Amino acid sequence: MNHEFEWRNQMRKLGGPVEPAHELWPDIAARIAGAPAQSASRRRIAPWLALAATLAVAVGAGVIVYRGPGHATPDASTQASTQTPVAPPATPAEEPQRTALDWAVPSDPALLASAQNLDNASAQLQGALEQRPDAVFLVGLLNRTNAQRLRLMRKSPYAG
Amino acid sequence: MQSAALSMNAPGFELPAVSDDAALVRRSLDGDMAAFEQLYRGHVGRVHGAILRLVGMDRGRAEELTQDAFVRAWQKLSSFRHESAFSTWLYRLGVNTALMELRGRRDSKETDVEDLDLAAGGDVPFCAGERGDLERAVSNLPPRARAVLVLHDVEGWKHEEIANELGMAVGSSKAQLHRARGLLRRTLGGEA
Repeated sequence: MNHEFEWRNQMRKLGGPVEPAHELWPDIAARIAGAPAQSASRRRIAPWLALAATLAVAVGAGVIVYRGPGHATPDASTQASTQTPVAPPATPAEEPQRTALDWAVPSDPALLASAQNLDNASAQLQGALEQRPDAVFLVGLLNRTNAQRLRLMRKSPYAG
Repeated sequence: MQSAALSMNAPGFELPAVSDDAALVRRSLDGDMAAFEQLYRGHVGRVHGAILRLVGMDRGRAEELTQDAFVRAWQKLSSFRHESAFSTWLYRLGVNTALMELRGRRDSKETDVEDLDLAAGGDVPFCAGERGDLERAVSNLPPRARAVLVLHDVEGWKHEEIANELGMAVGSSKAQLHRARGLLRRTLGGEA
């Protein structure tokens, strides 16, 4: 028979709403208390989103041509933090969020600039995500940028 | 946009009253937390369900991420422009929050020969078995393969959308799906 059809049918049954096992609202309410919903006056995304996207693409093109000695790669995923800080919307100009890869600085000066550019691109994309949290394509750009950063680290010596 | 529309067809999903949501969003923007709580109550199941599947049924992590998603929704509510349903905006925000987990993971390799070898021999697993077995098997997949499988086979996204939003080529999305199904076939076949 049509296995594909049966399979898709079974998989779709795994979907649908699932209520959390615990009541989450009290914690959410505590986290958002005192942080008013963002006012419409702060909708400024397009210029720096374009910059971040351009930077990510341009830097990526430069990074992947490097061929250096192979080295073990640190597991950046263990450094990642997805905690959303309780930041009042009125303080947008805080220092850029550090990325999971910020600590991995190449010792090779030829790669340092590329690494910094990638980190900047990553930070800007994270900033853009703060402005447009529903823009899932930004996660794609961020993934691409961070993948390039990982590739760079795999191919280069880095300061311990 | 289309992905969200597709996923709305998922079993058990009911469209909320859009006009009610619009009014609740406006009240929330005025600082009315009771209105936002109503939005939370109306949508938490769908958001949490998607996140839960994407993080491999890790209930604790899914609840943390669901909280994060609603806090971000509150903080970024003005970026909702009423061009789509609030439920769509919120769903995408929730998926985005879960996908952020995948950033920088080392299993982000593209199509590996060994993966294709592993997955060779059929398009879909021979037998999915019981729902519990299937959920467990999906949960044990590598994160990116799991994300592609969940988004494609469960949430109803297209490869183009997945590729765009996970930052991979369309071919890689297809390969990851093939890989995921191959791993599932091996797991479920072994249990059968």
